[in-house]
Amino acid sequence: MDLGAFRKGLDDWLDQHEAELAPDHSGSGTLVQHLEQLAKVKRAGFEAGWMRWGWPERVGGLGGSAILRAYLGEALMARDLVSAGGYSMTEVLAPTMIDFAPPELAATMVPRLLRGDEMWCQGFSEPSTGSNLAALNCRATPTDTGWRVSGQKVWTSYAQFAARCVLLTRTGPAESAHRGITAMFVDMDSPGITIRPLTTMHGVEEFCEVFYDDVLVPFDRTLGQIDRGWAVAMDLLPYERSTSLWHRGAFLQRRMNEMLAAVPTGALSAAEVGEVAQNLYAFRARSRATQRRMAAGDRLGPETSVDKVLVASAEQSVFDLVAAGLAAEVIGGDDGASERWRSEFLYSRAATIYGGSAEIQRNIIARRLLELGDDR
Amino acid sequence: MIQGSDLEMFERSLRQATSRHTGVALDAALVDLGWLDALESDAHTAIALLFPLQGGANATSFALDRVLMTGLNRGWALEPAVVMPPLGSWRAPAQLMGAGLNIHGLGSSALGSHSTALVVARSSDPTVDTVVEVATATLTLRCVEGIDPDFGLVEVSGESVDCAHLGDIASTEWDASVGLAQVALGYELVGAARTMLELARDHALNRVQFGQPISRFQAVRHRLAETLVAIEAADAVLAATGEDPSPQLAAAAKALSGRGARTAGRHCQQVLAGIGFTAEHPFHRYLKRVLVLDQLFGTSRALTEGLGNELLAGRRMPTHLPL
Repeated sequence: MDLGAFRKGLDDWLDQHEAELAPDHSGSGTLVQHLEQLAKVKRAGFEAGWMRWGWPERVGGLGGSAILRAYLGEALMARDLVSAGGYSMTEVLAPTMIDFAPPELAATMVPRLLRGDEMWCQGFSEPSTGSNLAALNCRATPTDTGWRVSGQKVWTSYAQFAARCVLLTRTGPAESAHRGITAMFVDMDSPGITIRPLTTMHGVEEFCEVFYDDVLVPFDRTLGQIDRGWAVAMDLLPYERSTSLWHRGAFLQRRMNEMLAAVPTGALSAAEVGEVAQNLYAFRARSRATQRRMAAGDRLGPETSVDKVLVASAEQSVFDLVAAGLAAEVIGGDDGASERWRSEFLYSRAATIYGGSAEIQRNIIARRLLELGDDR
Repeated sequence: MIQGSDLEMFERSLRQATSRHTGVALDAALVDLGWLDALESDAHTAIALLFPLQGGANATSFALDRVLMTGLNRGWALEPAVVMPPLGSWRAPAQLMGAGLNIHGLGSSALGSHSTALVVARSSDPTVDTVVEVATATLTLRCVEGIDPDFGLVEVSGESVDCAHLGDIASTEWDASVGLAQVALGYELVGAARTMLELARDHALNRVQFGQPISRFQAVRHRLAETLVAIEAADAVLAATGEDPSPQLAAAAKALSGRGARTAGRHCQQVLAGIGFTAEHPFHRYLKRVLVLDQLFGTSRALTEGLGNELLAGRRMPTHLPL
């Protein structure tokens, strides 16, 4: 399946099934509604085959280039069928499982994620380790029957809805830093897991604190090698900054168009609109080259931090325009469309914080791309 | 299409030529190396190879004239210089008034060494432009010293100048030529910005304060990281214009390059600090060159406002660059 045939076939299928794929809710919708919609679209897409292209056959895919997945997500965002945040978990976590899980585990589990049967989450950050991920404390101790995990994670998106978690734990001595981390795949209904959702400033319980108290995890759920979990985290990050960023760009383009259609005449200066549009074109050109490199089999690395800086700045600049141009809606509107503009504007404030903050990206660019040496 | 090892060899030769020569000597080297043939067979690749190097070396040549000719040439077998729009503008630089030509524009450093110049003139029909040839001796020329005397810009003016009609073109052809020129200038800006970044990076690694190289300080590192992001953003759109030659994308690429190069200038000058403020250090040549290049075929400011006006009027943002 080449991209041209995939594009044509997918676009036709989306046209034909427009009514059944459309969200059941109107307006901004709740998080639960978003996730139900996500599951519905993934299931229909999986059954029709579209959701399986670009994934290896050994995990339920149909093979083909990863660029097919880039286009699938773009088409879904462009038609407002799924939200970028929920959809991104598939693009971030499935490749990690394919690269690091025991083959039979990946073969059993990945299809459930692709088909929308299950939501998964990513247990990385902790209260004392945000940007400094290598200092994480959540302890996994080997016992006769498996790992015993105790500790706390935070900012775990969708944990309260997730069936599984890709979890980073400390297995080496406290001072082992990135050399003593082990990754594992945890069932979220395991005894000892307590989940406390956090309400964001846009009023959504999107992420959670997750407490692990003597949670037993079988050894065959270990991802990659023991004490080599840093490789899992490092492998995952470029995925986090490639396909799913392309999808976010498609979402931003759609919202920019909807803003231009709705903005009162004279509310925005041409200069500010032009600059935001140029930033979106710049991100698109950059990310498009990244998608092509990935499709060609190149190994993605620190250069994807440039993509991340560009998309985060673009997202904030788009919604800065929204807040200025649609001020009546964002500040004072109480209808569904206004709630959505407000929610997305507020969410965009986090774009330079999550997934490696803007400062961390600049640190990576300085050390790895500019080769400025260590900063201490 | 130049590809693979040929491309690398060609790039190496061009790098050598731009680092050793400037002005007419570089023109001659470009002819010898076959850059004009490359321009004819694959304009985008030829532009993308040469202009970053020319900008990176602070060199000048007739290359921009030749890029404009590529867009306009109908096999007229001429090798003239081309008159560009005045600073800040991208409109055709002349107007036909009866048999004579009113002209107000700019020539590159190549103009002085040519006896004729090719001029695109607006006609009474807004969809049609006229291409004419004029003798440079009949024009009023002023060598622009200005902020960057090394660039060799020439101010060109004349009222009711005699000219030879070469033919008419659709004004969209002028727009396409402007697009090519904008991409070339964008690449030259990016080349200059990369050299500024390299100068600032070297300085940061070598300059010791408080007992350590200033490259260890996050404030310095982040300025240089910001510079690289701005350069890569512009470069990505410039590269993409090879696949999508729309005037809108070319203008966006030029605007991003101009803005990116000015961002580079601001951050790199701050990192270079005192030494970068002297005439002894090469930095100032690049900063000044960037300010001039930004003015040719539309400033980043004007092009950005132009795009904004188009989007606000159309109430949508056209999708470019399908996957």
